[in-house]
Amino acid sequence: MTSEYSMQVLAQLLVSGIAVGMIYGVIAFGYQLTFATSKTLNFGQGEALMLGSLVGLSVVTITGYWIMLPIVLAFGMIQGAVVERLGVRQAIKTKSEAGWIMATIALGIIFKNLAENIWGRDALKFPSPLPEAPLSFMGVNVLPMEVVIVFGALAMMLLVEVFNRRSIYGKAVVATANDRDAAGLMGINTSLVITFSYALSSMTAAFAGVLVAPVTLTGASMGGALGLKAFAVAIIGGLSSGMGVVVGGLILGITETLTGYYLSTGYKDVPGLVLLLLVLSLKPSGLFGSATIKKV
Amino acid sequence: MLKVENLVAGYGKVQVLQDVSLEVPQGSLVTLIGSNGAGKTTTLRAVCGMIAAQSGRIMLDGAEITGLAPHQITRRGLAHSPEGRRVFPTLPVADNLLLGAFTRVTGSRPKGDVARDLDRMYAMFPRLAERRAQLAGTLSGGEQQMLAMARALMLAPLVLLLDEPSMGLAPRLVEEVFSIIARLKAERVTMLLVEQFAAAALDVADFGYVLENGRVTASGPAAALKNDPAVRAAYLGTAH
Repeated sequence: MTSEYSMQVLAQLLVSGIAVGMIYGVIAFGYQLTFATSKTLNFGQGEALMLGSLVGLSVVTITGYWIMLPIVLAFGMIQGAVVERLGVRQAIKTKSEAGWIMATIALGIIFKNLAENIWGRDALKFPSPLPEAPLSFMGVNVLPMEVVIVFGALAMMLLVEVFNRRSIYGKAVVATANDRDAAGLMGINTSLVITFSYALSSMTAAFAGVLVAPVTLTGASMGGALGLKAFAVAIIGGLSSGMGVVVGGLILGITETLTGYYLSTGYKDVPGLVLLLLVLSLKPSGLFGSATIKKV
Repeated sequence: MLKVENLVAGYGKVQVLQDVSLEVPQGSLVTLIGSNGAGKTTTLRAVCGMIAAQSGRIMLDGAEITGLAPHQITRRGLAHSPEGRRVFPTLPVADNLLLGAFTRVTGSRPKGDVARDLDRMYAMFPRLAERRAQLAGTLSGGEQQMLAMARALMLAPLVLLLDEPSMGLAPRLVEEVFSIIARLKAERVTMLLVEQFAAAALDVADFGYVLENGRVTASGPAAALKNDPAVRAAYLGTAH
């Protein structure tokens, strides 16, 4: 094995790791969106991704790839709003500490069973909008879809960020995240803002679902592991830092693929989870998270 | 303009307000004074909908607002500069002010000229103009107080509630806050002011109410209240 060859392998692994990591990042970004406004999370986020992907699979055969995208995004928004209405709103209203945890897990399981009955239990192939032959850059093979994943995920996060900073409604979302009572005093309907953040969160998950499906296959059980790993990424990167989820996602994606190749695929998940445990014990607010300091 | 009738309210099972009635006529400055825990802040919170009234009625501009959510009451034209300022720390000063006009920008209140009002606020609070791009969380306490007042004024409100605007400020800044209140009064802004500095509040106000243990125990023109021996002994003796 020449050293040039092993460098190529490493570069190849990094490319795959980055693509996987960006998917984790964009799902983790979805966790951040709801946590910012309501201090709650959708533990069925993986199922939101799975539903987006399967709905996309059914729609894509009728409409083609590009028209399928906005339909899946709209579906994701509705699905997220439903989760908030059924599972979270009442818990927030009664200031329940844990009600929303069980409720969002339960909804996730229901969505999974629903999907198993509609689409079956098998993994399904998702048509790729781009050629499936890899492109070669200096001996490193890159799937066109992997490039789309990286830029699609970044574009989605950037769009939400621009919306939050530039539009008055985005500023209302940030204000609700800062201080919900004070936002209400501005005339902002903060319950609606929280519903909206759930809609946006599931929309990013559904988008991640159609991005990743052509590379990984899709199916009713695809969401569980992705949702959980993205949750680890959100904790590693910090639930309050947009940049943290990208870096956290890349760290987890790359360590996974490297461990899978150099150690054993059986240990693929271990380094990421060890990192999670380390972060939790050394910097509980996440690598990029800041403990909020309130000025009185 | 604002009328509170036999208001009973509190937190959970704790009743703070036993029976509060007061009135703020259009264009006047009314102050609510009383010792700590008398229910001053609770009264303002009940008026703006942050806590629910157990009984009684609250009327704004002739329409009942009892039981409405805070954002609905704001959309009727009531602005509140809350206790503790509550500015949005991660947003710049300019965005904090713009959010004060959220209902005007998004169409639930008459729009008017938001840009002109923004300029007026920067003229009235020059320090905010200097710091307009700075995050509100990095402002000093006095600057945050100015921001909270300016943000509330951006609603172009029918009534402005001011909760302890002088709290925690250095004496020089307290004076500045009161001079701004006097200026707003000259501009005929309808205000309900809650203050710990009773003497200063009665100096600037038209009318005053004294709150004790959740009840109004005295009321009258501010000048008369200031000369009332009982009020003097209880609230004006040590404060000034």
